[in-house]
Amino acid sequence: MSVSRRSFLQGFGRTNRSAEFMAARGHEEYVAELLQQGGPQGGRGMRPQLPPGTEIIRISSNENPLGPGKAAIDAILGRFPEANRYPFNSSPLDADLEILLAKLNSGKRDNIVLGVGSQELLRNAVRVYMSPTKHLVETSPTYGNCSGQARQMGWTIKTAPVDAKLKTDLAALLPLVKGAGLVYICNPNNPTGTVVSGQAITDFVAEVRKIAPTAGILIDEAYSDYSDSSFTSMIPLALATPNVIVAKTFSKAYGMAGVRIGFGIGQAEAIKRMSAYRMPYNVNTFGVAAAVASLKDPAHIKEESARNAAVRTFTIKAFADMGYTSTESQGNFIFTDIGKTMTAAAFRDACAAKGVQVGRDFPPLEKQWARTSLGTMAEMQKATEVFRNVLKPATNTTSGKGQ
Amino acid sequence: MALSRRKFVQTVGVGAGAALSSNIWGRGRENSVWSAFEPDLQAVERGMICIASNENPVGPGKAVLDALSKLLEGGATPGRYSGQMGELTSAIASTMKVKPENVILGEGSTQILRSATQVFTSKTKPLVGTIPTYEECSGYAELIGNPVKGVSLDSEFKIDLDKMAAAAKGAGLVFYCNPNNPTATYVGAKATREFLTKMISTSPETTILVDEAYFDYVTNPDHETHIPFALEHPQIIVARTFSKAYGMAGLRQGYAVAHPDTIKKLQDWDRAGGTSTLNVFGMAAATVAIQQGPAFLTNERDRNKAVRDMVAKWFADRGMKATDGQANFMFVNIGTPAKAFREACRAKGVIVARDFPPFEKTHCRITLGTMEEMTKAVAVFGDVLAKKTPAAA
Repeated sequence: MSVSRRSFLQGFGRTNRSAEFMAARGHEEYVAELLQQGGPQGGRGMRPQLPPGTEIIRISSNENPLGPGKAAIDAILGRFPEANRYPFNSSPLDADLEILLAKLNSGKRDNIVLGVGSQELLRNAVRVYMSPTKHLVETSPTYGNCSGQARQMGWTIKTAPVDAKLKTDLAALLPLVKGAGLVYICNPNNPTGTVVSGQAITDFVAEVRKIAPTAGILIDEAYSDYSDSSFTSMIPLALATPNVIVAKTFSKAYGMAGVRIGFGIGQAEAIKRMSAYRMPYNVNTFGVAAAVASLKDPAHIKEESARNAAVRTFTIKAFADMGYTSTESQGNFIFTDIGKTMTAAAFRDACAAKGVQVGRDFPPLEKQWARTSLGTMAEMQKATEVFRNVLKPATNTTSGKGQ
Repeated sequence: MALSRRKFVQTVGVGAGAALSSNIWGRGRENSVWSAFEPDLQAVERGMICIASNENPVGPGKAVLDALSKLLEGGATPGRYSGQMGELTSAIASTMKVKPENVILGEGSTQILRSATQVFTSKTKPLVGTIPTYEECSGYAELIGNPVKGVSLDSEFKIDLDKMAAAAKGAGLVFYCNPNNPTATYVGAKATREFLTKMISTSPETTILVDEAYFDYVTNPDHETHIPFALEHPQIIVARTFSKAYGMAGLRQGYAVAHPDTIKKLQDWDRAGGTSTLNVFGMAAATVAIQQGPAFLTNERDRNKAVRDMVAKWFADRGMKATDGQANFMFVNIGTPAKAFREACRAKGVIVARDFPPFEKTHCRITLGTMEEMTKAVAVFGDVLAKKTPAAA
């Protein structure tokens, strides 16, 4: 899959360059080529290739190293002249994106709310469903946007730790649900990468609705496009169940973290409440155009998912070969137990000194577990060399894992 | 100026295979991705003249369009979360001759307006604004359950400063939109300065948000930004946007300038409560836009003024009074309900603005398109109004 994408990209290049370089620079390079072909030939040369070691490998923020697909880039390029129009006057309109998302998810337009990334949706869900007396329930560790907003408002947060496999422990969350305003489930969970099954979530939601009938249940599926069949989207459940909202983003598999676009989907009543908090004209016209174009190119997302899965398998194995276990990650990042050798902070600092940026601390697991986002295969080949160096294969330990 | 800008943007993107039709400016970009969803398409039909939303009809400057092209070409990473906010903040600070700690960025000025309302109003400290004005602050105050006090305009549709000062005593936030949207009127710099000074002494706990969204279009000689004043007085915030004269409404960039203590209050809220990340295209474009130099804004102001003068004269010649418009839109007494006028215009390919109570029975807000667009638009207005009212008073 990634091969075809690479050769596709190379097809636009007029000069021979290494597949590695192409893949690492990805679509930006492709765009450069297109612009060169179309624009005046001003002797514009190739971007200078930096000597090895000077370009930092950034695998710290769960970004897509290749950026958006060709369709999205084309759509953005075509958007420049319309930068003057508000998203409600542009073509496509933000409303058109809502309609398209509704259609692709078997809903209606009033089931969809757009966000500046899914971040806006997570924060607004806190404001819609919580209050000084209605707390947040979530696993620990998980993505910190809801809890950050709740803390800002001075509202209560109740957490239960992930289970032994670092999965969201739904059974442990349930006793915390009484009187809750919002229950947040990140699936696959960031930073642990683990997935809980569709059946487990469905059963959990039914229980929550008995205990706290008015609570919002926000299921964050930011990484769903990177998951295998162990993951089931709760979008159908959200459409069928009051106050259940699924949040999705174009920041991950769609490669548009810098474009800031996401959406929430649920029953019309819940979405109406969310929409009240939506910042007017929140999504930019380039983002709308890119999102629309991307949605019309599902093959690209399949390829991106396969590309990531191959890198994920490679990287998990590299750690295993060094004697370190990772969780069963379904995201574009992995979560690895390096505790017998060093803390996440020590690992991060040592890697940074060698030009590799890995994830921050994720308390309460920061003494033992480190999160590594997945770059390109080429980047991860280099990065795992650095890891090997930094972690100094733990041959003198009792662990026989990964053999 | 306008012409060359239009020509340029008609050719950009061709290399990307983007099918830009010559009609792109009229709002009707053919969008092939839509073919499969055509029946549900909401987008405005091709060829419509959209003069409803106070957008800049000619778009961003050439430097900005160049920067956007180079952005993708030069290794922009739309797949990455951006760290460009510092660069944009510095560019704004140096252009406006303030320090970076005087600047906060926002998703358009919308985010600034909402954050200020969040931070400075409360259950006991209302929001005060004119009726009508831009509704972002009042809408948000209502959303979070904080009181809103409205103050009627004076007979010239300007902010009534005495009434405003009286109503604003003890308020949490005064929204001072100048030029005012939708009435397009501008309170002179001297009178505004006196009002602000008076407010600081009579109601020091009140913050005043001076929205200068349309400031770059003001031609009244008595005009001046209140940014320098804001630097000295923690009670004053000046909001600016890239959506108007800079032609970047779709890119969602705005900012505010204020005393560092005031900026910090807004930032503390935004960090956890707002949109902490702006989009990479918008930030790159804004960084270049603000550094285009004064000639860009002068040219844009002149271009807009020529159109405004033409449209104002057209209405005046027909006995219809417009306010003293100082923005890129006009507020005109058409002597007939805005709704009927709007619907009739739309049927003839011209989209004008929605109702603005309490003046919706007589007044319509009309955004100024290009001269070409407005020449066509006034012909439509002539048709529509001739049928409606023989002679509006």
